[in-house]
Amino acid sequence: MFSHLIVAYIFIYICLGLIGLGIILLLQMKVSHNKEQHRREMYEQKHHDYFKYIQAHLEEEGALRLPPGKLKPLERKVIQEKYMEWIEQFKGDYRARLIQLCRDAGFVEADLKALSSVSFGRRLDAAYRLGGMRAEEAVPALLQMLQKGKYNSLSIIIARSIAKSAQKSEDVLEMLRILLSHGKPIHHLAADIMLESGMDASGLLLKLLDDPDPALVKVGLVAMWGQAVPEVMPVLGRLVGSEEKDVRAEAVKLYLSSNPALKDETIVHLMSDRNWEVRAAAAKALGPLHAAGSIPLLVKALQDANWKVRYNSAESLAALGEAGFEALCQAALSGAGIQREAALQRIELVMELEQEHSAIEQMVAYNKKRLIHDRYFGVKRKPVKRMTGVAAVGGDYTA
Amino acid sequence: MVTIYYVMIVNILYFAIMGLSYRNILTIFRRSKYSSYNTLSGSELVPSVSLLVPAYNEELTIIENVYCLMTLNYPTYEVIVINDGSSDKTLSVLISEFGLKKMSNPEIRGTIDTQNMRGIYHNPDYPQLFIIDKENGGKADSLNAGINFSHYPLISSIDADSLLEKDALIRMARMYMENPEEMVAIGGDVRIANGCLIENGAVQKVSLPRKIWPMFQSIEYLKAFLGGRIGWSHMNGLVIVSGAFGLFRKDYVIAVGGYRGGYPGEDMNIIIKLHRYMLSHKLPYRVAFCPEAVCWTQAPDSYKIISNQRMRWGRGNLKNMIENRGMLFNPKYKVMGMITMPYNVLFETLNPYFRITGLLALMGYTLLDMTHWRILLTFFLLNFLSGYLLSVGAIILEEIAFRRFKKLSDLWKMLLFSALKFVGYHQLGVLWRIQGHIQYLRKNNSWGAMTRQSWKEESEAA
Repeated sequence: MFSHLIVAYIFIYICLGLIGLGIILLLQMKVSHNKEQHRREMYEQKHHDYFKYIQAHLEEEGALRLPPGKLKPLERKVIQEKYMEWIEQFKGDYRARLIQLCRDAGFVEADLKALSSVSFGRRLDAAYRLGGMRAEEAVPALLQMLQKGKYNSLSIIIARSIAKSAQKSEDVLEMLRILLSHGKPIHHLAADIMLESGMDASGLLLKLLDDPDPALVKVGLVAMWGQAVPEVMPVLGRLVGSEEKDVRAEAVKLYLSSNPALKDETIVHLMSDRNWEVRAAAAKALGPLHAAGSIPLLVKALQDANWKVRYNSAESLAALGEAGFEALCQAALSGAGIQREAALQRIELVMELEQEHSAIEQMVAYNKKRLIHDRYFGVKRKPVKRMTGVAAVGGDYTA
Repeated sequence: MVTIYYVMIVNILYFAIMGLSYRNILTIFRRSKYSSYNTLSGSELVPSVSLLVPAYNEELTIIENVYCLMTLNYPTYEVIVINDGSSDKTLSVLISEFGLKKMSNPEIRGTIDTQNMRGIYHNPDYPQLFIIDKENGGKADSLNAGINFSHYPLISSIDADSLLEKDALIRMARMYMENPEEMVAIGGDVRIANGCLIENGAVQKVSLPRKIWPMFQSIEYLKAFLGGRIGWSHMNGLVIVSGAFGLFRKDYVIAVGGYRGGYPGEDMNIIIKLHRYMLSHKLPYRVAFCPEAVCWTQAPDSYKIISNQRMRWGRGNLKNMIENRGMLFNPKYKVMGMITMPYNVLFETLNPYFRITGLLALMGYTLLDMTHWRILLTFFLLNFLSGYLLSVGAIILEEIAFRRFKKLSDLWKMLLFSALKFVGYHQLGVLWRIQGHIQYLRKNNSWGAMTRQSWKEESEAA
């Protein structure tokens, strides 16, 4: 029993010792954090006029003055952070002048030195700041750092710094290659990182889309969403025939979103693609393209196994004038199951939305549709009620 | 002596888990400090999320919470509030505040069975807000109804009495985007809002609670989330993502049949089901904890409410462990089967019984021979000091990575309440858990009383 108690006593003493150490550590941390915070506020106040001067003289030619007096390490940190904050906010000449100011103040040089520190924490801090200061000279070392490290959330911080600092598209491509070499499907994140680059987006996108590595092509395609880059449209046309399933789907979606003229055989080909994303994108594009010849294809697509394809087909049919709307009514009346459901849903939406018409043309178009609607469903003014419970049939969750 | 060794072993395991939290804390600090949320929160490349907010009798807090959710820094998302047959004015205050109208034929794509939906309300002026009005069926049922109606590939469950920090969702999305194929669920850090200054649906000034019950819970949450979940997340052994705030892949939630209705503990249940599904299908996956994504919640501030909540948790935990006993020590389930589940059964579910029987035995032993009072004292000291050390450890983690409590007096208060917790509160926790187990045996599966205070009042009280 005695020896057992000794084990327990040892455990108690260890706990007591660790509690004592922990409380001392906590107090020391709290006091030093608060002190640092206080000094930061003091330095911000001290350099208030200098910060005003910088903001007022960003437009003027000639070098900007460095902060006055001999600076303490924390003071330098506060000023550097302010420069970096402005670099993020401004673009063009303002940004360039602030970047130069970082160099003149020796911040870039100091952080380049810190990149070779033995402490990973210091290296990472420096990497982040060098990205903030758009230090091109740091890119080779940052690429090396990214290459050596394991993939984790900190790799993303280094990758963003490279994207911000790089002035050569090869460096951005190299960064993306390293990032994607871990085999993770992080194309969206990689595209977001790539878009942090200050370089011309169209040049970068062209290089990505021409790259033999499908992963890089995917990054390029993903990055194109929301970007108007007409130069890459010919490359997109080529990628529509890609053998890579994901690449083809993304390329088709982008290609069709630009409302290109499509041949009938291309439409048939796209609407029968094995990938639902391709079929959905094709169905969506047919309405705005006013491809009235594709009405039978769209009606057939109302039976597609995928919800999105059915939804887009019904939407496009409704956009194809009276002929499209009539086809929709026919499908609602004579169709069954999911086809009928998709058609009815769109009809209800059309009748509901178009009741709020304002312009004469819209009123005329609405009245024509109203007539077609009444021909199929009678002259009831109430919206057509769906059969309860049908909505759930064939539901999928691919969204 | 068995009892004393049990206490030591339990605490050594707690220390080991906390050790893993320490191993990760600097990475968390750096990623939190250096990740670029400004660009991400405006990017079209971020995945769209459906926020699901089950609400039952939340008329006091719901408006403020919905405003908070509608102003998050996130590019594309929708807020779906599910009124679970509230008997108060939850639905009518929402309709009147947002000018909602019943949708004539809303599209419901999901097929998970739920209670009957009475209607879905929407106002095109608030395109991302939808209110589902349904018959009462419980929290899990409401979440399932939300999933059925949701439009986006990711879902996030949020309690109606909680406030998200503006960047909370984008921080989680960043974590998801770093490993989208494997990430099936991400939990956020839940903190106690009692005592904080709340304005315009956001916590403006962080302070510790003034009342004793929320203060104990504040320490408890800090210990559980920072001290425990970071470590469990590191080894992919998280058994729970708090129902107050979590992000999930919708396709996998549907693949496991959605949330289990009819019993509390649905937040733990869905995570266990996800682990089971992914491991059974040999799919690579991660269930992660994102401590920098913070959700502030109202903690119960009266004995009645907190005891109800803890009994419910006790019941939920026991039910989940019994339901999933097949995973125990089953190598097929890897960390879950070999570590997490046994740990939970031995050191969480059965913990009160070990402690109480041990204490009673020691007391009896000492009463028989008063010369052995030292053993009893040793038992008490072991319990207290090891538990206190864990609290100190969690406060250090907070100070390293987050530093939300700025004042030195806050630190003293946390240290004081970490000690006071062992005089009464800790013992009550053991009692509540046993009462929860008794309720389970009596087949009592009610949610229990839960009253809310408006955020305004809460803020004024602070």
